[in-house]
Amino acid sequence: MLTKLTNWSRLKSPWILHLNTGACNACDIEVVAALTPRFDVERFGILLKATPRHADVIICTGPATRQMKDRLIRIYEQTPDPKFVIAVGACAMSGCVYRGAYNVIGGIDQVIPVDVYVPGCPVRPDAVIDGVVKLLNKLKG
Amino acid sequence: MNDQLLIDKARENLGARVLEITNPALRRIFLRVKAEDLLEAVGWLKNQMGFTHLATISGVDLGQAFEILYHFANNFTCLTIRTEIPRENPLLPSICEIIPGAILYERELQDMFGIVVQNIPDGRPLLLPDGWPEGNHPLRKDWKYERPAEVIPGGKK
Repeated sequence: MLTKLTNWSRLKSPWILHLNTGACNACDIEVVAALTPRFDVERFGILLKATPRHADVIICTGPATRQMKDRLIRIYEQTPDPKFVIAVGACAMSGCVYRGAYNVIGGIDQVIPVDVYVPGCPVRPDAVIDGVVKLLNKLKG
Repeated sequence: MNDQLLIDKARENLGARVLEITNPALRRIFLRVKAEDLLEAVGWLKNQMGFTHLATISGVDLGQAFEILYHFANNFTCLTIRTEIPRENPLLPSICEIIPGAILYERELQDMFGIVVQNIPDGRPLLLPDGWPEGNHPLRKDWKYERPAEVIPGGKK
């Protein structure tokens, strides 16, 4: 009964943290666009949070840079369990055009575990929402 | 102020310190000086000719030497001061006492080329990440970067 309730509440309010780990800002603009009333993500209970301590889902944009590596791990560890990571954009998936640069490690998955990958350069806001909903479906079933 | 007037003034005021002055295109002037005459040339440009805008400082690795280019602009024209320093002993005077805003460019030069800028007010690394190994300068031509092996998440090979 209690597990059912916690699972239900988890599904109905995935609070997100938007984290830029070195993106060119194109994906960030699309993520912010996805939060506007036009796309209305609050119908899924998605709410942007300012701190990782309140968040359930970390939306990462951009490749993992060397400077960001330790900070990324720190933010991931600050997020309370259960936590999920969505890698948004081609850079967050593999490093994209920054792959092989001296200050880039690669995708987000080189540093922290990733649950959902959303491709695109930059992604469409619809794709970001679709990624979150896919994550919720994964949790449900 | 046209280009020829500026060239004449440079020869008049800097005299023998001008190694070479060229004017390859309209409103583009290249002035070559020795590294030890750099401060004097920059001071003359800023205080007497009104070149108050330092657009950027760029560096080139020529193999045996580093060439440093200071791109200045005023309301009429662009002037680039070129200077060369040997690779074995890369010492460059800081121009921060004349143009305080040059510090960011000079710190970047230190990071990227391993040039030692003398009398720089604050010589901390600017662009390179924390924990960057000493003696690695990404814009040197002989610097090789080996990408660390990437792992596929989930333990796949």
